[in-house]
Amino acid sequence: MKITQAIKRVDSPTQLRWWQKYRNRNLVIAFLFVFPALLNFLLFRYLPIFWAARTSFYRYSFFKGFEGFVGLDHYIKIFTNDPEFINSLKVTLIFALTKVPIQVVLALALAVFAVRNIPGMGAMRAIIFIPVVTSFIVVSIVWGMMLNKDVGLVNAILQTVGLPRMEFLSSKANALPSIIMISIWKDVGYSVIVLVAAMKGISEVYYEVAMVLGANAWQQFVNVTIPMLRRALMFVIVIGTLGAFQVFIPIYQLTRGGPRDTTNVIVYYIYKKAFQFGEMDYAAALSIVLLAIMLIFSLIQMRLMRSEDVD
Amino acid sequence: MTRYSISQDTRLSADVIKHAKQAQRKKIVINILSSMVTFIIYIVITIVFVTPFIYLLGNSFRVNSQSIWGNLFPVSWKSFIPYDGVTLKNYIQALGLDVVSRGFGMNMSRALWISLASATCVIISSLIFNTCAAYFFARLKFPRKNILLVYVLATMMIPQQVVIVPLFLVVRSLGIINTFWALVIPWYSSPFIVFLLTQYFATLPYELDEAAIMDGANLLQILYLIVVPNSLPGLLTVSLLEFQFIWNEFYWPLVAVTNRELQPVQVHIAAQFTERDPQWGRVFSAMVLASAPIILIFMMAQKYFFQSTAISGIKG
Repeated sequence: MKITQAIKRVDSPTQLRWWQKYRNRNLVIAFLFVFPALLNFLLFRYLPIFWAARTSFYRYSFFKGFEGFVGLDHYIKIFTNDPEFINSLKVTLIFALTKVPIQVVLALALAVFAVRNIPGMGAMRAIIFIPVVTSFIVVSIVWGMMLNKDVGLVNAILQTVGLPRMEFLSSKANALPSIIMISIWKDVGYSVIVLVAAMKGISEVYYEVAMVLGANAWQQFVNVTIPMLRRALMFVIVIGTLGAFQVFIPIYQLTRGGPRDTTNVIVYYIYKKAFQFGEMDYAAALSIVLLAIMLIFSLIQMRLMRSEDVD
Repeated sequence: MTRYSISQDTRLSADVIKHAKQAQRKKIVINILSSMVTFIIYIVITIVFVTPFIYLLGNSFRVNSQSIWGNLFPVSWKSFIPYDGVTLKNYIQALGLDVVSRGFGMNMSRALWISLASATCVIISSLIFNTCAAYFFARLKFPRKNILLVYVLATMMIPQQVVIVPLFLVVRSLGIINTFWALVIPWYSSPFIVFLLTQYFATLPYELDEAAIMDGANLLQILYLIVVPNSLPGLLTVSLLEFQFIWNEFYWPLVAVTNRELQPVQVHIAAQFTERDPQWGRVFSAMVLASAPIILIFMMAQKYFFQSTAISGIKG
């Protein structure tokens, strides 16, 4: 009965509305499944970018709304007349270029250790991963206390073993390295787990062949493990770099960009402009610039990844 | 048999046994050495990664927050363990449960409730909408579906912290800034989770769907009678990821909600430092309350956390 009805509908399409046609109705039903997700991405992922691009061409404030078109003025100011932006870009680059290599090398070393299946290793992997699931705010506050000059645990340890007390977050020279250290401590577990998973995927055969050829442990590591890990390493580097460009929480919680702007990373600078000085239009322009920089960065990295795949 | 023949041939056996014993002894020594090295590395890893948490947990129970600093130097077990008595006063005050603590402006019970409520809302909506979208991409026929997939995947390229200011402008124009919904609605669907679930559903055999179609099931029935029951581990994984994301999220709630009554845990804790001198005992116990749920969940469901990490790494 149903089938004959369906055939009738297909046979006499003119009597039906567009959505009543069998094929179209199925398409509409299928589309309803995906529509809410697409709407979310349109509203909360794509629209903000267009909105920010539009805002960046106007003078705009919360209370008065849009007040006149200024063209590229904000962008011109960013690149020619904003030393704080240039400085924040520099700080962010230093942060990323220091943090990512150290983190990857450390993760690689830890992964080589943690990939073995011996008693207690499961607990070790869990311990390394705990900071990853803990909130960065809690991690920042605890480390901030431990690094305090007068009442911090780290300085108490230094003094106990006979070293002088040091300033960490309050000194111009040590603030950024301290933030880098805290971020690595928090993030390294993620890289370790990714690399361990990738190492477990390497077939034993390669190592057996290498052993037959007389390779020692280091040679096996360089000639088998590293090449086989290339994709995972690339992933860890790309994700790490993108994350490093967006560092915000430890800066917000521990240094507020200080001392003397030595930790004033770009995302924190945008936050300050937007939500403390209320310069929404300028912050929107800054966001667009940062977005462009990161897009170029990830395109370059993806190109590198692809060209390495061809090899 | 072989053993007999070796021991019978005395000329050979003396040499062989000597060498074998030497090799064995060498092997034992190497084994002992390597397990000692392993053990030392275990201890180093534990010290580096666990000390901050012990410090946090121990100090959250101290009777007098002055003794946190008083016992620091010289460093000993007293720096970590509240040896002079344990109290829950800090927790009670942090949770805002006694009359005195109301005045301090710290109310972790409210903040925990807000975090839990928003995480629950996001997990439920994510399970509904992401599952439907992933089902669409993994199973349904649609012209130019690849373009839609690119549309979804391209959003993963957008760095989240960078677009907070633009997102704020959009959400503000929707009129939900400074409401509870600002914490939920932007995240009701996630491209990464759609992608993860699409991968997961694609591994289920299509024969199951065909059998259901034969029995006259419609798309929705196939989804919740066939696909969902067969992918419970995947759905659990994405729920955990969403929980972790919402529970630890800081930047967005910081700007989206300025009303103190709506602050989730992380923002509420950070807010203690912008005011007068923070009461350390209370702050320590508040931090334990804010990180214990996610750490406990991780301990119980380690496998799923590791799997999702490994998948994201391998698929890249």
